[in-house]
Amino acid sequence: MLTYIIRRLLLLPLILFGLSLIIFGMIQSLGPDRLLAAYVNPGVLDKLTPVQLEKIKQKYGLNDPMMIRYIKWLKNTLQGDLGWSLVGKQPVKDAILSRLPWTVELALYSIVPVVFVGVWLGVIAAVNRDKFLDHFVRIFAVVGWSFPDFVFGLIVLMIFYSVLGWFPPGNLSFWADQVVKSPEFRRFTSLVTIDALLNGRFDVFVDALRHLVAPILTLSWLWWAYLLRITRSSMLEVLTKEYIRTARAKGLAERVVINKHARRNAMIPVITVGGGMVIQLFAGTVIVEMVFNRTGMGSFTATAATQLDYASIMASALFYSLILVIGNLVIDILYATVDPRVRLG
Amino acid sequence: MRVETKRMLRRILRNPSAVLGFALLIFFTLVAVFAPLICPPQSYDPYMIPIVTWDKTPQPPTKGHPFGIIDGRDIFYGVVWGTRTAFKVGLVVTLTSTLVGLVIGSIAGYFGGWIDEVLMRITDVFLSIPYILAAIVLTAFLGMGLDKVMISLIIFGWMGTARLIRANILQAREEQYVLAARALGVSDFFVITKHILPNTIFPVLIQATMRIGSLVITAAALSFLGLGAPVGYADWGALLNFARNWMLGASGEALKYWYAIVYPGTAMVLFVLAWNLVGDALRDAFDPRLRG
Amino acid sequence: MERKPILSVKGLKTYFYTEDGIVKAVDGVDFDVYQGETLGIVGESGCGKSVTALSILRILDEKGKIVDGQVLLDGVDLTKIDEQEMRRIRGKDIAIIFQEPMVALNPVFTIGEQIMEAIMLHQRLDEKNARAMAIDLLRKVGIPEPEKRVDQYPHELSGGMRQRAMIAMALSCKPKVLIADEPTTALDVTIQAQIMELMKQLQKEYGMAIMLITHDLGLIAENADRVVVMYAGKVVEYADVRTLFNDPKHPYTWGLLHAIPRLDIEQTRLYNIPGVVPDPLHFPPGCKFHPRCEFREERCTREEPELVEVGENHTVRCFFWQKVVEAKMKKVGEFV
Repeated sequence: MLTYIIRRLLLLPLILFGLSLIIFGMIQSLGPDRLLAAYVNPGVLDKLTPVQLEKIKQKYGLNDPMMIRYIKWLKNTLQGDLGWSLVGKQPVKDAILSRLPWTVELALYSIVPVVFVGVWLGVIAAVNRDKFLDHFVRIFAVVGWSFPDFVFGLIVLMIFYSVLGWFPPGNLSFWADQVVKSPEFRRFTSLVTIDALLNGRFDVFVDALRHLVAPILTLSWLWWAYLLRITRSSMLEVLTKEYIRTARAKGLAERVVINKHARRNAMIPVITVGGGMVIQLFAGTVIVEMVFNRTGMGSFTATAATQLDYASIMASALFYSLILVIGNLVIDILYATVDPRVRLG
Repeated sequence: MRVETKRMLRRILRNPSAVLGFALLIFFTLVAVFAPLICPPQSYDPYMIPIVTWDKTPQPPTKGHPFGIIDGRDIFYGVVWGTRTAFKVGLVVTLTSTLVGLVIGSIAGYFGGWIDEVLMRITDVFLSIPYILAAIVLTAFLGMGLDKVMISLIIFGWMGTARLIRANILQAREEQYVLAARALGVSDFFVITKHILPNTIFPVLIQATMRIGSLVITAAALSFLGLGAPVGYADWGALLNFARNWMLGASGEALKYWYAIVYPGTAMVLFVLAWNLVGDALRDAFDPRLRG
Repeated sequence: MERKPILSVKGLKTYFYTEDGIVKAVDGVDFDVYQGETLGIVGESGCGKSVTALSILRILDEKGKIVDGQVLLDGVDLTKIDEQEMRRIRGKDIAIIFQEPMVALNPVFTIGEQIMEAIMLHQRLDEKNARAMAIDLLRKVGIPEPEKRVDQYPHELSGGMRQRAMIAMALSCKPKVLIADEPTTALDVTIQAQIMELMKQLQKEYGMAIMLITHDLGLIAENADRVVVMYAGKVVEYADVRTLFNDPKHPYTWGLLHAIPRLDIEQTRLYNIPGVVPDPLHFPPGCKFHPRCEFREERCTREEPELVEVGENHTVRCFFWQKVVEAKMKKVGEFV
């Protein structure tokens, strides 16, 4: 088991390396002129003479051969110099660090409804195959899967905010934001909800939650439907297996057969998919944060893309790659935990 | 084969959701085909929604504008011509990415060895990248525009097909009739195209159908973010982008602008639903054992 | 002395309601299993022998239903009791082992856990004692180093050992009847012999009855006391093993025996029964075997024969079993 984990850990830098090459390759598809915007504030850029521009190009090695540029870029990145963000009007690193916790919070909390609702409903649908409950759940799931998240989000916004006023867009109400920014508010985890509790500010906690409900609902909407499908088909397949027959032949109650014998096996593919889905959740924050006007990595990335803020885009791409790689590693480890056949491989 | 086709048709027609799916598809096809008749174009580019008023506030539906007006443009026009856009994007991207996937998967599956290994690793890397993120990043680099969006989507959309075809080929390779053909000296290319591919076409078709739905959503999402179609283009996602701005601005009043969301939104949902139902129906009809 | 059978199946009918029609998998089957004895049930794939076993335990697919008949275990009709009572009998009074131990054992639990599950369910033992008992059972079925094996997963064991583990699990509660559904088909020939040897030995020790379901006549010859031959969901011949092999009276049995290749006489061609097993949705009229029967006559295409007694404890479902006897007389040598 340990060797398995170590092996996967060793692969990590390799994969990151590969991804960094891809990202770097994309960056280089732009000419050196467009690249300049990543290093110099465009407001200043216009006022520079061609000679000064050349000097800057030299400084950042934009005229150097590909290999050297890659190494330089890698060096800078590893040292934390990610360039200047147009969108954030601050160094990219700071822009990301300040926005990251919001996204993490959103994604993390969304996992809960997705997993529990999706898996629970999926098992129900499988066990009640072809009966009314199954059809109902499946239709629910198909519609869920067909609903674009931004459409759903807009409708949620319309109903719950515009009409009912329960769940406003944004991260926090103005007053709560002031509290969080004040020096008395101590940051432990940088996740606002937890920090609010730790600071004893229950009112801030509630406010943050109010702002989270609609985004979580929207973000998880798509994915619980997906997880449901996967769970259902996995469960159905497991139920046809011989060892289920053996379990029944031993005299076990049906409930035990389903919950103990069937479910454990059915979860194996679900975990793989579910893990990939968590990564998708992070991707989904892009849309959701935009719809609900929240600050976070998602809206940062989207805005950077529309404003052609290349430094920010690159950094975001790197960030998501990291999530991806770590996410996959976690999936593999979980997979090995659940399926003993994998461990010795 | 005849009996099988009849059986399949029977299964499809017996399934109410399948019938619904096909009905919706036919409806959308008709709308797309007859778009110029339903909404005659008013400028040299029929895909640009005509501006009907200079007032930027959204206007509710009236007789002349049954879906209302947003950003000065007629929503009905946008939804109708948007159907064409949806089909265009969906079909072009799916067809192209499927073809790419077929080629890559066939090569990997047929030749095996290190070619297979390398191609599969590449596929894995591409697969693990979330669709929308990749599309966002790539589009930002390629520049904006619907065609750039389509390119991005194709570049990140071929993996599923590649894997599928590769698996089928790996299995078919060991089949007797393939070994026989090779023993007779038939070239590899012919073996793939004439023997293996025809037998694996149906699962590929089913998978492609199921992909169209999420593909259209992703494309619309990009337009929604402002990365795809230019402002005023007949695209459902772009229309919803307008809606969002007004939704966030006005609190308590936003229900006034319900038409800005409901009409394009419904069109989207139904379109994607149609493809999903059809894909499900095809899969169920092809092999009920896969059902679930 | 009139012995009473421990398990008695009378007129069992199990039908499957599929989207293509009703499949009469078991259509009126009778036999008795006596304590300490082995009843062999033999037939080609699809004749209904496995379904019979599943019907006895009532673990059929949801599309299957027992539409008629009785299954008497020590006088209690299993088809009539409620599910809760049936569960108490399953695994405890009647146990079953399946053909492929790799798929019949749950891959995510250790074999120890799976055996202990059966033990703790039917006997009020705590975990520690159940584990000790499991190790004991593993030793008894001939698995070396049982203390180590008990914590291993099915995929860590070889095919033969897995089957032994399944036997251990089945026997954990000392059942009255053990149903073995193709227990050795998936195993190598040498392992087959070991497993059958083990089963015979345990049978003697526990005094249990065994229902051996197989398509392998050799296995029947060596292990069964009485034999039921099934075809298309019905019993076509029922006799003790010696009689069956020496004095078969049904054309199908005759055909099966005839098809066994011989080493002692010269054969220019190997015999096989012409035709194939009929499609259960489209049975032929009259006797279900007649299209393939060497001895058929006009009557067979119209009427379906009933079981008739043709000897001591020997029944046959055929109008013209006399012809089989005559045919046999003409052949040189015995079968067994």
